[in-house]
Amino acid sequence: MEPLIDVKASLTECASLSASAPIWQDILAQAMTGEVLAAMNYASLSEICDDPAEVADALEHAEGERGHAASFAAEGRKIGVDVANNVDAKHWKRLREAFLRCIAERDFIGCLIVQEIMLESFAVASYSRVGRVAPGSLGETFARIAAEEEDHVDHAMSILRAERARDAQRFDDKVYRLHLEVMTTLAQMLAKECKDGHCEVCHASCVKPSLFDVRLSAAELRGASLQQYLKTLDMLGIPGEVTLTWVAQLPV
Amino acid sequence: MGGPVAGVATRARTSVVDFALIGHQESWRAAADVIAVLRGPERIPLPDDEIKDILPWIPPRAVCHVDIGSIIGAKARGLYIDSFIPPDRLEAAYVHENIARVRKAAACAIKAGAKIVSLGGFSSILIEGNFDQLPKKNDTVFTTGNTLTVAFIVQGIQKMCALEGRNLQRSTLLIVGATGDVGSGCARCLAPLARRVLLSARNVERLRRLAAELEADGVQVEIATDLERFSVEADVVICAASLASSSLLLGRIAPDAIVCDAGYPKNLSPTAEMLDAKVFFGGLGQITGGMKFTPDFHGVLNRHPFPDVVHGCLLEGMALALEQRLEAFSQGRGFITQDRVVEMETIAARHGIYLAPLYNADGPLGDGLDASWNGRQDESVGERPSQTVESSF
Repeated sequence: MEPLIDVKASLTECASLSASAPIWQDILAQAMTGEVLAAMNYASLSEICDDPAEVADALEHAEGERGHAASFAAEGRKIGVDVANNVDAKHWKRLREAFLRCIAERDFIGCLIVQEIMLESFAVASYSRVGRVAPGSLGETFARIAAEEEDHVDHAMSILRAERARDAQRFDDKVYRLHLEVMTTLAQMLAKECKDGHCEVCHASCVKPSLFDVRLSAAELRGASLQQYLKTLDMLGIPGEVTLTWVAQLPV
Repeated sequence: MGGPVAGVATRARTSVVDFALIGHQESWRAAADVIAVLRGPERIPLPDDEIKDILPWIPPRAVCHVDIGSIIGAKARGLYIDSFIPPDRLEAAYVHENIARVRKAAACAIKAGAKIVSLGGFSSILIEGNFDQLPKKNDTVFTTGNTLTVAFIVQGIQKMCALEGRNLQRSTLLIVGATGDVGSGCARCLAPLARRVLLSARNVERLRRLAAELEADGVQVEIATDLERFSVEADVVICAASLASSSLLLGRIAPDAIVCDAGYPKNLSPTAEMLDAKVFFGGLGQITGGMKFTPDFHGVLNRHPFPDVVHGCLLEGMALALEQRLEAFSQGRGFITQDRVVEMETIAARHGIYLAPLYNADGPLGDGLDASWNGRQDESVGERPSQTVESSF
């Protein structure tokens, strides 16, 4: 069994983070859950790909996401906390179910929209914000993974743009349908307060009110995520006035 | 729920964009109303604290389509693009952030293929000295819209003088913010008509240059960076820059002075100390050939006490689009002349864009002149839908 505290981590790093360790523990747990779920999603995606190259691509992405999850777990060990994940937590479970519906329909494009446009926008934006304020290797890991996730989005973007060029109306309708399902759940996750009970990922009470202690806030993470989502939709070519309406109609 | 959204999406792909208007909301109340329209009547409006948290993160983007008509049958189709500058970040401390937002809004206009773009309100102030900071333009031209703003300020002063039985030639005209694009344009148009002109601004060198230009035309000019230093009271005042407080004018203007609030945002109102002053909001015009928003932002984006009233800066882009005269009519600072103002107001009037009925923070001014002013029948006089000073249009 691996030691709870990484012997290679500097004593200074552990000491400086000890007070805020429970907060980082929950932030890491949310991130790790997202990565494990992404790995599961890519593994599922590989099962509906016809092209061997696409199968390999999806499996490679799944492996990459598992690597990210392991990195987050390792960062937890460095600061002396055990980072758990829970893909069955209520919000994450709904996100997984939405993805699996696309799998059931063998809807490759739908899968990319859910994973690359919606979930990765959230990941890229929130990891980047965390990366700016988290100290030492913890911050570096969040920043590095944010950059790697952004590369995923770039890769998917060319496929999705080509799909939109074939039939923009049909494509936009599909994005909107998935937006209603996935982004509504993400918006509930990102709300400033968890109004509908415990998220089932935080190890004790909700971490959101404590985020100020590590120079973050739930409002900032939500704002950055929605901004990234809107920018990604802009890159796809969906009219800005349309996506503005979509986002304005999300729950808070 | 998907119907109207999909409808806008389809239209965005097929529409020609003749013009784009770049603006932002002047108050959190106005921003909340815009978000409420976007959310639709079936959803509860967002609480104020949520709006304040979310709005600053929204990247500049189109909010709605604007269709306008001319009294001679021309039509033009445009986009309103909001830079989403937060209403509490208009100060100098945010200037770089705000210029970046206007640049991004300009990029949206270019991407949409807009032929001409008007920079509304604060966007115009930010960019008038920074045109080189706008993105590569391709076939899109930008105008600050300041020439038509000046035209409507000048017309407003003349109308108010007529209403009050004042003779401008016997008046002392004070222009606050005189060296800006709008202030200097007003000075060039009105100084030759006044008995004496007082120019106030922060930059004394620019004041001296403008004074020398006007004096060369025989105008009697006094300049000061501080209103208290003028030797005489003014009885006609144009505030081309927002004053921190209307009390700054007290003691420097005649009790019954005519005061045109042409600053942005407009923040002068008749106060207890200025009860006899005739304050009105300047630089506003009315488009009489019709204006339609899709989705329907009527009364939300244009929050004036009269229908189809719009800031002159935005109307300039609309007038040029209707005229199909796609040129950067107003750019830079200090180039607005009387001839250019006449040329622009002629273009605007040809398409039924006139000086708006006068009003101030207390509501419309009962003037009795509107029906014949500009030689038109003004059917809008008498309508009183709202009284507000906050409008992005």
